[in-house]
Amino acid sequence: MKQVILSLLAVFLVVSVAFAADDIYPEYKGEPVTLTMWAWTSNEDYSIREFEKVYPNIKVQWENFGVHYTKAQTAIAAGEGLPDVLMIEYTFAPEFMELGAFVPINQWLPEEKFVKLFGEPALNWCALDGKIYGTPQDSGAIALFYRKDIFEKYGLTVPQTWTEFAEQARKLRQADPNLNFATVPLGWALWWIGQIWEAGGKVFDYKDGKWYIDFTNPVAEKVFNFWGELIDEGTIKIEQWWSPDWYNSLNVGKTAAVIIGCWFAEWLRYNAPESEGLWRVTIPPQWDPANPHNGMIGGSGFYVTTHSKNPEAAAIFVMWLNSHPESLKCLHKYSNLPVMVSTRYAEVLDEVAGPDKFFGGQNIVETLWEAHKLVDTAYVALPIQTNVDQALGLLLQDYVDGKIKKFADILPMWEEAVVKAMKEFGYDNVVVGELP
Amino acid sequence: MIRTRRGRSVFKAYLFLAPFLVLFVFVVVYPIIFGVRLSLYGQRGARMWYVGFSNYRTILGDPRFWEAFKIPLFLLLVQVPLMIFLAILIAFVYERMPRGRAAFYRFIHYLPYTIPAIVAGIVWSYIFSDSMSPLRPLLDLLGFVGVRILNREHVPLVLLVIIFWEFTGYTAFVVFSALLAVPREYAEQAQIDGATFWQTAFFIKLPLVRGVITMLFIFNAIGALQVFNEPWMLGALVVLPPNYTPAMYIYNSAFAYGRFTYATAMGLVLACITFLISLYVLRMASRQLLARGW
Repeated sequence: MKQVILSLLAVFLVVSVAFAADDIYPEYKGEPVTLTMWAWTSNEDYSIREFEKVYPNIKVQWENFGVHYTKAQTAIAAGEGLPDVLMIEYTFAPEFMELGAFVPINQWLPEEKFVKLFGEPALNWCALDGKIYGTPQDSGAIALFYRKDIFEKYGLTVPQTWTEFAEQARKLRQADPNLNFATVPLGWALWWIGQIWEAGGKVFDYKDGKWYIDFTNPVAEKVFNFWGELIDEGTIKIEQWWSPDWYNSLNVGKTAAVIIGCWFAEWLRYNAPESEGLWRVTIPPQWDPANPHNGMIGGSGFYVTTHSKNPEAAAIFVMWLNSHPESLKCLHKYSNLPVMVSTRYAEVLDEVAGPDKFFGGQNIVETLWEAHKLVDTAYVALPIQTNVDQALGLLLQDYVDGKIKKFADILPMWEEAVVKAMKEFGYDNVVVGELP
Repeated sequence: MIRTRRGRSVFKAYLFLAPFLVLFVFVVVYPIIFGVRLSLYGQRGARMWYVGFSNYRTILGDPRFWEAFKIPLFLLLVQVPLMIFLAILIAFVYERMPRGRAAFYRFIHYLPYTIPAIVAGIVWSYIFSDSMSPLRPLLDLLGFVGVRILNREHVPLVLLVIIFWEFTGYTAFVVFSALLAVPREYAEQAQIDGATFWQTAFFIKLPLVRGVITMLFIFNAIGALQVFNEPWMLGALVVLPPNYTPAMYIYNSAFAYGRFTYATAMGLVLACITFLISLYVLRMASRQLLARGW
C-alpha cells in the first residue's frame, strides 16, 4: 500500500513539474526577429536549434570572437554595435552594468521566477538594484582536481580540510622537491577571491546604492595567512597559470593537484591529453567540515544589451537557453560545460551524468554538482574588475621578485590599490572597512 | 571645364595622386581630426560630455603616463644606437664577403623581420620559460638551479634581445643597400692612398650614407616610443604594469578601462612627442651636415 501511495505521489510530482515547466517560458507574440549573440563557449548552436523549434519566430545568430571584452567596450563607447545577447563572466558583469551595456528584463523574467530557475545567489551575478539583466549559464564552483597516480606513489591522502591540505603539501615537498602538490596563480583575482568565498567570506559587495570594500576582514585574513605561511616557507609556489610552464607541468605530472572552477574538467581533457585516466575530482578542502561551503572561480552569464531592438525576444531566449532541460542537455553534451547554474539542471542530471573515461571512470558530473550546491552565498563584484585583477597581479609579482617579504602583507596593499582605483573612476559611494 | 594647360596638368597630377590621397585622408587625416575632437570629451560607457582641455590637463598630472616613458627612453638611448652600430658593422662585413655568401647571410639575417611579432612571441615565451627553456641546462650547470629566468627586472634586457633579433638584420640590409649606391671610385682612391678596409668604411663610406642612417634613427626612435608588441607578449610570463610603455597604457585605458577619450588624448600627446623627437634628430643631423660643409 505504502509503495502504491509513493508511486502515485511520484507520478503526481512528475506531472505537476511538467505542467509547471510549460508555463515557465512566456509565449512570444511579436514580429519574427533574428537575434545576434556573442559567446565564446563552443557549440552553442545545438541549444539554439532546440530553441528555434519551440520559438519559430525567433532566430538566433551566434558569433564567436573568443573573449570579446575589448570589442564590447568599443561598441559601448560607440553607442552601437553590441549584439542582442552578450556573454560576460559574472565577475565582469557589474562593470558592464555600470557602463549601461545591459537592459532590464524583469518584465519578462521577474525576480521570483529568476530565483526559482537559477537560485538566489545568482541574482548577485545577473542583477543590480533589483534590475535583472540576464541569466547565468555555467557554474564556476570550486573543485579539487588531483592526480591519483601521484597521490598513490607518495602515499598522500585526499585532503578533506585545509589543515590536511597543508600537511599533504608539506609531505610531498619533502618526499620530492621537484613536484608541486599544488600551485597558486600569479595574479588572477578571481582565484584568490574564490578562496575567500570558499571560506564563507568576501572582500567587497554592493547594497542600496553603495559599494562596500573590506579586504582585511577576519575570513580574508585567515585565508591569506594560510596560503602565506605555505608560500613563505616554500611549500607552495606561485606560478604564472596558463603559461607554457604551467601547461607543461600539468601534462607531464609535475603538479599533483589543482584547485579551480569545475569548468576546468573540460579544459584538462583537451589540454592535458597525456594524463588521461590519472585525474580525479573532489569537493575542495573545508575550513569547517561540519558546515561545508564553497565558492566559485569563473562562470558566465548571458545578458540582454541596450543595443537590442527586441529585448523581449532576447529575454525569452536567455531564459530558455540557460534553464530549459533540452538546452541544458545540449550545453552539457556539446558545449562541454560540466555543471549549469540553473536549478533545473537537477532534472537532467541523471541523464547526463555517468562514468567519465578521462577521470578514470569517475562520475564527475555528480561530484561537481555536489560542489555547486555548496555555493550558497554570493556577492556583487566591483565595477572595476580589470583594476582589481591588475592590482593583485602587480603585488604578487613584487612578492615573487622579492620586493614584498611577507605574503600576507599583500592583502592590505591590494585593498589600498582597489580603493584608489574606485576613486579614480569617480565612485564617491564607497564604504571602506565594512561589508553589508 | 578645365581650360588652361596648367589647369589640365594640375588636374592630371591630382588624378594620379588620388589613390594615395583618398586613403591618406580617410585613414590618417580624418582619424586625427576625429581623435582631436574625441579628446575634448569626457566619457563613461556611451555617455559623452564636452570637457575642453581637461583630458590634457589630467595627462600632465598623470604620473602613470610619464612613468611609462622609462622603457622607451631606455630603448632610445641604448637599443637604437647599439643596434644601428651593429647593423653598420654587419653591413660592412657583407661588403667584404664573397657575393654569394653575403647574399645567404643577408637572407638569414632578414628572416626574423618577416615573422609576425606575435608568432615570434610564442616561441620566445618558450625560450624564456622556467621549466622548458633550452637555456635551462646551461643555467643549471652555472649554478642557477631553480632561479627564475624571467622576473620584472630582467624584462628590459629580454626586450633588447628580442628587438635586436627582430630588427638588426633588416637594419643591416638597409645600410648595405645604401652602401651599394656609394661610387666605388671613392673607396678605391682611399685604398690607393693607404687606408685600410675599416678606415675606408668608417671615414669614407659611412659619411656618404648619413642620410640613410638618420632615417634609420628616426624610424627606430619612433618604434622605441611606441613599443607595444614585445612587452605585451612577455606579459604572459611575468606580470607587467598596465602602463609599462605609453602604448600599453593607452591600449589598457581604452580597451580594459573603457576610457576611450582619455586614451585618444594620450595617443595625440604621444604622437606630438614622437614628432618632436624625430624633428630634433633630423635637425641635429642636418646641422652636422651643414657644419661639415655638405
